[in-house]
Amino acid sequence: MTRTVLDIMNLTVNLPNRTRILRDVSLSLEPGEVRALVGESGAGKSMIGKAVLGILPPKVRISEGEILLDNEHLGAMTPVTRRNTVARMSALIPQDPLTALNPLRKIGPQIVDPLRRIHGWSADKARARALELLDRVHIRAPERVMASYPHELSGGMRQRILIAAAFAPSPRLIVADEPTTALDVTVQKEILKLIRELQRETGTAVLFVTHDMGVVAKISQKVTVLFAGKVMEDAPTEQVFSGAAHPYTRALINATPSSADPSRSFTPVPAQLVADLHREIAQDDHLYMTVTS
Amino acid sequence: MAEASTAPRARHGSGLNLRLWLPLSWVTLLVVVAVFARWIAPHDPLAQDLLLERLPPFFMSGSEPGYWLGTDSLGRDVLSRMIYGAQIALFVSVIAASATCVFGSVLGMLAGYYGGWAERIISRLVDIWMAFPPVLFAVLLVAVMGTGLTSVIAAIALIDWTRFARVVRAETLVQTRMDYVDSARIGGARRASTLWTEILPNVLPTIIALLMLEMGIAIIVEAILSFVNLSISTDDPTWGSMIAEGRNAIHFAWWVLLFPLIALFFSVLSFSVLGEGLRQRFDPVLQ
Ligand SMILES: Nc1ncnc2c1ncn2[C@@H]1O[C@H](COP(=O)(O)OP(=O)(O)OP(=O)(O)O)[C@@H](O)[C@H]1O
Ligand SMILES: [Mg+2]
Repeated sequence: MTRTVLDIMNLTVNLPNRTRILRDVSLSLEPGEVRALVGESGAGKSMIGKAVLGILPPKVRISEGEILLDNEHLGAMTPVTRRNTVARMSALIPQDPLTALNPLRKIGPQIVDPLRRIHGWSADKARARALELLDRVHIRAPERVMASYPHELSGGMRQRILIAAAFAPSPRLIVADEPTTALDVTVQKEILKLIRELQRETGTAVLFVTHDMGVVAKISQKVTVLFAGKVMEDAPTEQVFSGAAHPYTRALINATPSSADPSRSFTPVPAQLVADLHREIAQDDHLYMTVTS
Repeated sequence: MAEASTAPRARHGSGLNLRLWLPLSWVTLLVVVAVFARWIAPHDPLAQDLLLERLPPFFMSGSEPGYWLGTDSLGRDVLSRMIYGAQIALFVSVIAASATCVFGSVLGMLAGYYGGWAERIISRLVDIWMAFPPVLFAVLLVAVMGTGLTSVIAAIALIDWTRFARVVRAETLVQTRMDYVDSARIGGARRASTLWTEILPNVLPTIIALLMLEMGIAIIVEAILSFVNLSISTDDPTWGSMIAEGRNAIHFAWWVLLFPLIALFFSVLSFSVLGEGLRQRFDPVLQ
């Protein structure tokens, strides 16, 4: 058996009325691997990350499947053990660095508290680790930043702080949920570079949610393509770009303006293809409803 | 970063002065007067002197030196009674509003945060409670418990906790859905401790604003209950009983009614303005 950091097996996530948000999703990450998770808005990319991190919205439930962190079944654990395991093993770099920080608490405790909880470190040790990581993400005057409130800092600075906070407890897995979409174009590149550098240095596996195929090519070794909560394709990144198996993946690539070659033309995902996929899924749903009711 | 942190503060400073300065001075005055009533009041608030009844205030002809705001129909000094009245008003408002606030806010936070059964039970209780006409409720309560300050305080808390419960529940619900709560949970925070360390600071500005408002309301309720003779004994100098007495003599001794009414008005207004001002002061995002 190969050791995986994350193994999602046949995950189905439902609303109470049995509407499926994720449909039989499987994916895995090996240590040190970066897997891109792509798909249009509403495909369920964030929902996968939330299921792994145990922060699904109220009423959204895992109805089938298994999630394994470091080969341990999360579903088999008590809520407290699961909470501790998730905290020790994984971290999140969120989409919006403003809302992910508590506006009424200083930056310092927001990084230090989790370190103390997760590793049982002393205040001094946790603080030293926080300062080390803030320095690593190129924050000048980290002492002063730790004593600031989130609203006193710029968006790029906040995202660097959250990157530092995510890497500080040395997790095995980081879920990065579109970590650059809320930022200025000018800081996007820098943030991406920082995540990639830290990922290489630490050997952390990263599940990188994005809808930018250009970013996929740069950062990932594997790709999972999601459509309406269903995995369309799971393949090595190279293979996807050299001639992807699935027409939807190809359409996604063609729909991305290339940042390397802005002159290259791009075409939106054909409506016919999307309609066909939706029809397929609707038939699938019909079957699911009849079988499970 | 330096610019970012100083610019909003500076802008806020000028607004702060106008909105907070006046109500803050009034409340400070009330507190000082209440605490030092024994030394400040020129006369015994209960001392009657029928030779000195219905003296007008100092700026009118026929006034007596030493009786600045005149006397009532039993010859008691209005200013002294108002000073002791401030003591009672402030005492009731602080105790009653705090009790109301703690009780209502805790229930509101639990309902908003945990949802499910906690939410259903607490929300139902609020609905049932609010179906009672509050004044009738207060009168019934005082009738059962007997007149006196304790009943007045209990009546206020029992009537008004729903205001806190409703508003705090709504605000907690909003905060519970924020990303920072998820961040804390991913960082291993326990569910209960997240409520107190992450969410409470964000709900606190709302709670403080409500608390101030409630202090104003408590002063009014105490005055109303005094007015209808359900607070402490009529002899005791409360603003409400002064207003009730003054009403009978409004045509020939209007000052007995007017001065406590003004004090009541300014106190209630000050507390609500102060509440809103403090809410903004405590909320860095609003600054
Ligand atoms: N709290 C919720 N309750 C019910 N359904 C939800 C909730 N949040 C999201 N959904 C649904 O789940 C589906 C997947 O949402 P998700 O946020 O995972 O999409 P996404 O792929 O991350 O999209 P985006 O690129 O816009 O972030 C969507 O169809 C959405 O309508
Ligand atoms: Mg998303």
